[in-house]
Amino acid sequence: MKYKDEIIRSMEWLGEKEDTIFLGQSVKYSGNAIYNTLKTLPEEKRIELPVFEEIQMGMSTGMALDGLVPICCFPRFDFILRCMDSLVNHLDKMQHMTEGTFKPKVIMRTSIGSKKPLDGGIQHTQDYTDPIMRMLHEVNVVSLNEPEEIFPAFEEAYKTDCSTLLIEWGDYYNEK
Amino acid sequence: MLRIPSHLEKTKEVTVTKEELISFETEVKARYENGTISAPVHLSKNNEDKLIEIFQYVHKDDWVFSSWRNHYHALLHGISQETLMNLIVRGKSMNVYSKEPKFYSSSIVGGIIPLALGTAKVQKMNGSKNKTWCFIGDMTFETGIFYESYKYAKNFDLPLQFVVEDNNMSTNTPTDKVWGGKRDVPGNVIYYKYDREYPHHGTGNWVLF
Repeated sequence: MKYKDEIIRSMEWLGEKEDTIFLGQSVKYSGNAIYNTLKTLPEEKRIELPVFEEIQMGMSTGMALDGLVPICCFPRFDFILRCMDSLVNHLDKMQHMTEGTFKPKVIMRTSIGSKKPLDGGIQHTQDYTDPIMRMLHEVNVVSLNEPEEIFPAFEEAYKTDCSTLLIEWGDYYNEK
Repeated sequence: MLRIPSHLEKTKEVTVTKEELISFETEVKARYENGTISAPVHLSKNNEDKLIEIFQYVHKDDWVFSSWRNHYHALLHGISQETLMNLIVRGKSMNVYSKEPKFYSSSIVGGIIPLALGTAKVQKMNGSKNKTWCFIGDMTFETGIFYESYKYAKNFDLPLQFVVEDNNMSTNTPTDKVWGGKRDVPGNVIYYKYDREYPHHGTGNWVLF
């Protein structure tokens, strides 16, 4: 299967789980590539949110504290910089701070913006994988480079007892 | 003054007394000053009556979120003195936590608000009768993260009850001076004013470790 098809297969597999919920921008309304990977999921599994990344990240963590597995979607890696307090100071420190009592499981999706055929420009195409891997200690960071890596990565993200940030490549939606 | 919105109903009688709260913090102060707590402590005082009144509205199965100054909230939500003191002595004063009762705190301004929004969202999705309580200070109330979260919670009728505890200080910065004034607190938010007795952290006395 191709890169995008593997993403869709993974989302459909996650969507079959009772405890999952998908949230973010363009999860319910078309507008970017993420929407096209979620549009086959039932409406009630998707919560479209305002543009408030900091709150989206923290809200997902709170939902995970109450037993759900949020799939928290950020259309571009650049936008994740808007939620660093909720991600780094809270989600990524919670197991340490609570001595393992709280282990919120949030599955985060983002994408390094594509440059072909349109170049999204410097604010929409950055790859922050290395710095964010150095900043995060409790959250797994996974780069999705090949189609065959995708489904096992999402499967592992769901089965593990911590949170995972999965990084897609926008250009691979067409190339691979 | 203490302002409690009329839509709230009492769920219990609080059994923790004002004297017990003060006595607990006095013991923390003593242990901090004799060097057995090697991490910052943020002590409460002068808001016992107000919090005892507020916690009559908090159900034992509700979520409670608090900040670095959380000892009173933890005790009033049902965390035992022994458990809390054990956490404090191990340096956890700023991030007290509990699964039963449901309690979480953070020492980053505003950081708990989205978390509280998330638990309230799930309570609403599940049709739960329980609420999420979020205790914040007056500086946190002025931040954008409060306003966005408050707006979302209000528009979607989430069971998220904010409590603003106004001592007009953020660390040592007077809120009204640096903002050039303060905003009105919405009517569905619990609000009270008090004067803090202890400094932002510590006890006001020099401690040698």
